[in-house]
Amino acid sequence: MAKKNARPHTVLVTGATDGIGLLLARAYARRGHHVLATGRRGIANDEEFFKSPNVTYVMADQSDPRHAAATILAIMQDMGWAQLDLAILNGATAWTGPPYDEPINTIGEQLKVNIAAPIHLTLALAPMLFAAKGRLVMVGSTSVGKAQGQFATYVATKAALDGLCRSLREEWRGRANVMIVHPGPTRTRMHAKAGLNIPILRLFFMSPKKVTRAIQVAIRRGNDGRKMITRFACFMARFSWAGKGQL
Amino acid sequence: MRVLITGAAHGLGRALTEELLRQGHQVVAADRETDTLENMPMAHRGACTIRFVDLESADSIQRLLTSFQGQPPFDLVFLNAGISATGKFEEIPEAAYDKLIAVNLFAPIYLASRLVGKELMGRKSKIVFISSLSHAMGYPGAAVYAATKDGRAGYARCAAQAFKKERVRVLTVFPGPINTAHAQRHAPEGSKASKRMAPQKMAKLILRAAKGNSKTYYPGTKAYLAALFGKMMPGLATRLMRRGIYDKLKGSTF
Repeated sequence: MAKKNARPHTVLVTGATDGIGLLLARAYARRGHHVLATGRRGIANDEEFFKSPNVTYVMADQSDPRHAAATILAIMQDMGWAQLDLAILNGATAWTGPPYDEPINTIGEQLKVNIAAPIHLTLALAPMLFAAKGRLVMVGSTSVGKAQGQFATYVATKAALDGLCRSLREEWRGRANVMIVHPGPTRTRMHAKAGLNIPILRLFFMSPKKVTRAIQVAIRRGNDGRKMITRFACFMARFSWAGKGQL
Repeated sequence: MRVLITGAAHGLGRALTEELLRQGHQVVAADRETDTLENMPMAHRGACTIRFVDLESADSIQRLLTSFQGQPPFDLVFLNAGISATGKFEEIPEAAYDKLIAVNLFAPIYLASRLVGKELMGRKSKIVFISSLSHAMGYPGAAVYAATKDGRAGYARCAAQAFKKERVRVLTVFPGPINTAHAQRHAPEGSKASKRMAPQKMAKLILRAAKGNSKTYYPGTKAYLAALFGKMMPGLATRLMRRGIYDKLKGSTF
């Protein structure tokens, strides 16, 4: 059973220049898959990795959702990908502060990057995902079920993604597997980028490596449309193993 | 009470406006279709101010907000305006999705943020976000509509916590199907209008809830039971929604 799907898959990871996206892209590349990594910040974090033969990097700024989707689709066609086995829509941005002080630009940017871009990308990728009976994975946040006064717009976008996946999973049943993973607070640079710096709190955040592994396990199983990546899920992920060529 | 209602020209917004005017409140009715609002029955016109706003445009929202400067603050605000797009996800054009995000998500977020930020809300005032019962049930056949309504509810939950300091309370309402022209356009063929709640009844229920202390409200017994079911068995609820709606859809409406 374990070797059933053992072949190089085509994998798209958005927001792959840093954080969980970068770790996911590395993990799938290490297993021998063809990885298309996208982001807007360039490859400075790991130039060596982005130049590996089975990895392609394309700069696609999701704050222009249509352009980002078109760019990604065009590069896939250039590479001759006829189907897409796995799309991980991970790229996101956040702003922290009281909602009544939030600048109009950051409201707009979060809506574009976190929800409009995944929608446009999903539209663009749909035929390729159907061709492969592939998996579409969105990355949410455990904050969707909570009241986070400092992250209101961010939570709104992640709650919207959650709702999108719930309905789309049912619409696409039998054609492609749609799921959303909700990681808890993770020790990545996201919080600092969002303007939140609380060193002590970071001690309680989860390790990005463990979170990445738990996400991979959730994707491989694919039976849960809405997976919370908690500490427990990270722990359980230790006992799941996959060989080369598997997702 | 001084009340602001977005999307006041039709459907639930219209019913809310008429009910509030009947009760003798001052209403600022904002909509893109101001002509329709002019036809309000004369007996109600006394305290109604009509304002044009195109919620697709941030500039238009900004102009609406500027027109409130120097006026008495609001006691009650209904962020009600919403649009829908029904059909298979991949068959709806991307322009319709941009519009959905602008009107259903950006507009209420920006309005709520600025109404509180510019001190246009009075003491002990309340903002009511109109979400949808799809928040509890899922909505295959209108996936992005459902997404924007979930986003609205998510924002409202966070705003409720953040606005407490400013003495502004937040209520999120999750109405089920309402018997409006909007619902008629988007429902699958053959669905019965008589099963949807009349907007006048819905408006009365929502106004009663707005006077209370609850933070979320599912109007009517049916919606309440549906919400319970949707929370206990989310997968099954969404699957039934697919059977009832998505599988019966013919073409798309946006």
